[in-house]
Amino acid sequence: MKALADGLFTVFKHLFMKPVTLEYPEKKRELSDAFRGKMVADTNTGEHCCIGCGVCKKVCPSGAISYEKNEEGKVVSYSFDLKKCIFCGNCMYYCPRGAINMTKEYELGCESKENLILTYKKEGEDD
Amino acid sequence: MTMKKTLKLNLGPQHPSTHGVLRLILELDGEKIVSCEPDVGYLHRGMEKMAENMTYIQYLPTADRIDYLAGCFYSELLCRTVEKAKGVELSQRVKTIRVILLELNRIASHLLWIGAFLMDLGAVSPFFYAMREREMILRYFEKLTGQRMMYNYFVFGGVRKDIDYIEDIENIIKILPEKIKDYEKIITDNPIFLKRTKGKGILEQDVAFNYAVTGVNLRASGIEYDIRTTDYLYEGFKFKPVVLEGKDSWARYKARILELKESIKIIEQGLNILTYGEKLEQNLINPINLKLPEGEYYNEIEAPRGLASVYIKSTGDDKPYRLKWRTGSYYSVNLLRKLLVGEYLNDAIAISGSLDIILPEVDK
Repeated sequence: MKALADGLFTVFKHLFMKPVTLEYPEKKRELSDAFRGKMVADTNTGEHCCIGCGVCKKVCPSGAISYEKNEEGKVVSYSFDLKKCIFCGNCMYYCPRGAINMTKEYELGCESKENLILTYKKEGEDD
Repeated sequence: MTMKKTLKLNLGPQHPSTHGVLRLILELDGEKIVSCEPDVGYLHRGMEKMAENMTYIQYLPTADRIDYLAGCFYSELLCRTVEKAKGVELSQRVKTIRVILLELNRIASHLLWIGAFLMDLGAVSPFFYAMREREMILRYFEKLTGQRMMYNYFVFGGVRKDIDYIEDIENIIKILPEKIKDYEKIITDNPIFLKRTKGKGILEQDVAFNYAVTGVNLRASGIEYDIRTTDYLYEGFKFKPVVLEGKDSWARYKARILELKESIKIIEQGLNILTYGEKLEQNLINPINLKLPEGEYYNEIEAPRGLASVYIKSTGDDKPYRLKWRTGSYYSVNLLRKLLVGEYLNDAIAISGSLDIILPEVDK
């Protein structure tokens, strides 16, 4: 009986504690800076710094990255397929120029599949 | 003469109280179980075959996904194999960081088990308490590595970046012992819990040997077998493998609670080393065009659910020729054939819960 009473007392103590849960979607918790969410091409410098070395494609486990080259061998556009991406961050970690960033955005639901393929054009015009 | 009739019952694969998609084909005589046939494979993702078409660095993030509750252990195994094959030595700081994260991961895994096990027995409150404490650890992992469960933090020859937010770990190991005391108050001597676990699902030592069971399940049957004692990562750490003589579900519960305390001790020692340690020195291996020399490689580690190991056969290519994982849960599932016979149907879930089975790990 003593064990039962002890247990009940411990459970009742929790009645007077602050709740630890959040009412998601209304309230959202703050994510850390290191969080690996939706990926974007880094445009901090005003232009994409991708040099088309292909390392991101080599380290990607799910084949989510593809790019197009013109006749001169320069990268014209590249795209991330978020349907295939497993958010491991390999592309971001191994990019020699820091051209790929992962944001804190994690709600990726949308109405059409095409919206999940992010294409970036080298001339500075984003899709 | 009357024929003895038995009833065949499918428990799972979509039963809400089974752990994941496990199907148990039970043969019942009244309420008693006559035979049990576990049917696995509903979660098979082809992790081993997948490796044959991927380079080592491509495969590294997927290794985290073999066991989603203890991802660190499997990426550590893969990293260790590559490091040993390449002859790369790890610095003390890298080793310590890895040990701390592995043990935090072990605590998170055991905490979830405590919650889920009690949920199987019908107690709901401990589940929330265990999840609350686990959340602290997962948030720490998110801060450090970027994700809560699929870390991709260990790399060939080191770690992604130096450990940070040490005050968070200090906070966790300060709070946890009190919380474990709370769990013990609620659970350990509770008469209902005792009735459902004491003397139930007895795992004899010879059965454990024959079924190649490892980990806490084996140690709760009185056999001291903990790979950590000889592991090169854990060199210099003082801890005692938890060995209990009970052999039943209750002993397996108690062993996990004690193991939480041991893990906290290991983390404390690790933090001491880090505080007075030097800067992070890594011998990173360039993962692009990484090729393992021709040969066969085998490495093992003590994961939360038993001995985990990896076998890689390389032909000198940038992809493994064959890769095989050994996961602890697979052997525990097999054990159900033996443990459930002669028990009541009501205890089937309680006993299978006590073995800590994680289906993604079983099916790979």
